[in-house]
Amino acid sequence: MAGDARLAHHFSSLSVQAHAARLGMWLFLGTEVLLFGGLFVGYAMYRTVYRAAFVACSHHLDRALGTVDTLVLITSSFTMALGLHLARGGRARQATAALGATLALGLAFLAVHGHEYAGDIAAGALPGRLYRAGVELPGAGIFYTLYYFMTGLHSLHVVFGLVLLGWLTRRTARGDFGAGWDTPLELGGLYWHLIDLVWIFLYPLLYLI
Amino acid sequence: MVTTEAVDEAGAPPSAARYLACWIALVLLTGLTFALSTVDLGGWSLALALAIAVAKGSVVALFFMHLWDHVGAVRLVLVTAVLFVVVLSSLVVADVLTRFPLALPPR
Amino acid sequence: MSKPADLDREPARASYLTDGTTVRSWLDTRDHKRVGLMFLVAVLGALFLGGMFAMVLRLSLLTPEGSFVGPTAYNRLFTLHGIVMIFLFLVPAIPSAFGNFMVPLMIGARDVAFPRLNLLGLYLYLIGAVLVLGAMIEGGTDTGWTFYAPYSTSTPSAVVPVLLGIFVVGCSSIVSGINFIVTIHTMRAPGLTWMRLPLFVWSIYGASIIQVIATPVLGLTVLLVAVDHAFHVGLFDPAVGGDPLLMQHLFWFYSHPAVYITILPAMGVVSEVVSGLSRKNSFGYKPIVYSTLGIAFVGFFTWGHHLFVSGQSTFDAGFFGVASMLVGVFTAIKVFTWIGTMYRGAIAFTTPYAYVCGFIFFLVFGGMTGIALATVSLDAHWHDTYFIVAHFHFVMVGAALMAFLAALHYWFPKMFGRAYPEGWGLVSTVLIILGFNATFIPQFLLGNAGMPRRYYSYPAELQALNVASTAGATLLGIGFLIIFVYLVVSLRHGERVPQNPWESRGFEWYTASPPLKENFEHLPTFSHAPHDYQEGHPHGR
Repeated sequence: MAGDARLAHHFSSLSVQAHAARLGMWLFLGTEVLLFGGLFVGYAMYRTVYRAAFVACSHHLDRALGTVDTLVLITSSFTMALGLHLARGGRARQATAALGATLALGLAFLAVHGHEYAGDIAAGALPGRLYRAGVELPGAGIFYTLYYFMTGLHSLHVVFGLVLLGWLTRRTARGDFGAGWDTPLELGGLYWHLIDLVWIFLYPLLYLI
Repeated sequence: MVTTEAVDEAGAPPSAARYLACWIALVLLTGLTFALSTVDLGGWSLALALAIAVAKGSVVALFFMHLWDHVGAVRLVLVTAVLFVVVLSSLVVADVLTRFPLALPPR
Repeated sequence: MSKPADLDREPARASYLTDGTTVRSWLDTRDHKRVGLMFLVAVLGALFLGGMFAMVLRLSLLTPEGSFVGPTAYNRLFTLHGIVMIFLFLVPAIPSAFGNFMVPLMIGARDVAFPRLNLLGLYLYLIGAVLVLGAMIEGGTDTGWTFYAPYSTSTPSAVVPVLLGIFVVGCSSIVSGINFIVTIHTMRAPGLTWMRLPLFVWSIYGASIIQVIATPVLGLTVLLVAVDHAFHVGLFDPAVGGDPLLMQHLFWFYSHPAVYITILPAMGVVSEVVSGLSRKNSFGYKPIVYSTLGIAFVGFFTWGHHLFVSGQSTFDAGFFGVASMLVGVFTAIKVFTWIGTMYRGAIAFTTPYAYVCGFIFFLVFGGMTGIALATVSLDAHWHDTYFIVAHFHFVMVGAALMAFLAALHYWFPKMFGRAYPEGWGLVSTVLIILGFNATFIPQFLLGNAGMPRRYYSYPAELQALNVASTAGATLLGIGFLIIFVYLVVSLRHGERVPQNPWESRGFEWYTASPPLKENFEHLPTFSHAPHDYQEGHPHGR
């Protein structure tokens, strides 16, 4: 295929290249699912062993903030999908606005969650042997170890996602993406949706027991 | 020419309305799971919460992440990853459920 | 494969080796062949280091009360030996060195799907290796390569940099897996259907799937142990309500499939060499393909056999025991297929072939001891003894390392356009096979007699077997030294070979030796299966 500077020499066509990029990104997302998956396994195991402590500790988590976080992320996923859709349709300015909204929502998530952490720490709900809050059942410390690890690892991924989004928003504003080519935006979007996907499972398992 | 499976979206790209519908579905499902958590359903509460999470996750994966439109290997990847998390969880939980009690963590 | 006529003559253009001779052109390459070659050098370095550590251990075990090094150093050495050999050699060696080099050639592609990612994988490997080995400055760690909690979370030794290094090397492994899966899915040349893929490519595909699924769990596990070590939050600490077994479950969920990451590409090499040097169509192409996928899949259900005596429930133990035996069935199918292929073949009994014969022998015996170990009641006696050590060295060294050496010799002419000296090759093969037997058969006997693994000292009556094992290790080392010398010499002074010195009909042999930088002058199309030697054979088309 002559003439297309974006086509790498080892691919036969731009569509094969895009398909390969998409498959590669999905495989990477698969590894992220397994990374978090190990934590879900630890959660499943300890919840089975320490049922009472998990229920009690879950009630001490701020359910309202957790729900707000969930809605914020769901909405950010929506604006992200919208952003890609608009970019594909050639509407760069609207796409940039949608991506900007996604960024703002992502930052809001971190802010809300940081506020939640502050509250937990102030109450003495610390991980493992450091646990000092109210629940006097065995396994309370383990619940919080898992809580901080799972949400902490998730928040770290949100930070990575925000950096990625920042870069993509700049490029969208410059008009880099359109109907012919949008691969980086699509792949970045997939990463952001995965962050939402993980939280969709974290939320009920941690907050709604 | 290349011997790869069919690539890309089949037919016309989806309209923005589809994404809005998905967002509404996700918000409603969130509300549902929150509401159900306030009711005491005993052993069913975990199963229901997970079912709703799977439904929400499917909406995100199929429509926001476009798995509904793409054919071929990409669809298998997420399913396979989740399958192995389930395998690992099941056998680990089975372990604690069937272990000699004194070999369990102190409680 | 229909080959355009111009591929037969000497390439008028420079090969991948000479096209660009600056250091920068190597360090910044996008060429999968150069990346593969650099990986080869790196893993050989790891093999050498791991071997040195092993030699010190064996020397220390010459006397019952230990010698040569003190007990703490001994513990640190066996830890490093395991980490270097497994993470820096066995897991990456065949895929990253030979997989990188051969897979695009075998599928008619100009490169892997993500060449820059490939290069990144190399650098991740090197960074991880530096972290792991750099920790030696602080004395390394003494937890064993399995770093079980709660010792790993409380040891004062330098466990965190080692864990970090393993994490980074794990990222390299994942990158490699993703690259190969996408390459094989999307870059096969016209006519190359899935059931015409060379068996080596299938084996890399299977191993890559395992890499992608299993390695992240290892990544999480090392992260959890490192954080627990640093902050003592006690996820695995019984004093805080944690369960050490959780760490073992998570760890082995990766580490058992990891041995299949190692052995599947090794089996792929064996399939190539057996067909190529017997000049016969594979006795059972589809059985090998399905067995490859079978091992990859069932291998994920067997990890608990490492936890038989750790306190795991008997229900789980029963399940894992049965699954562990099941996985052996696929290996057996492959062994029968290879032998069926060899039968009545026009065999060229050369060094690669000799290694393949060694592979099959050691895989069968090592594998059978594995089936025996899958029986919980027997493992209760053998667990954590030298029986286990002998078992896994049989399959990892006797089988996987032999396959690596087979690959090195079979593909040496392809990679460098030169021949190695066949006489010296066979001599060193004999030394290695004899040395290997002398090293590890005594260890089966030692283990059965009750000698525990990872112990600095042992009862005096077991000394004779230990001395025999050390003598064997020395012989093994001499064999490796000879190989190293003649291969390095052959790089410069080896006889130049034509494009296809083995007259193999594996697809990679239809390219120049050494290949052009862009692999082909014209992209090939495929019209039949690889290793098609027999007219009208059902699996020729």
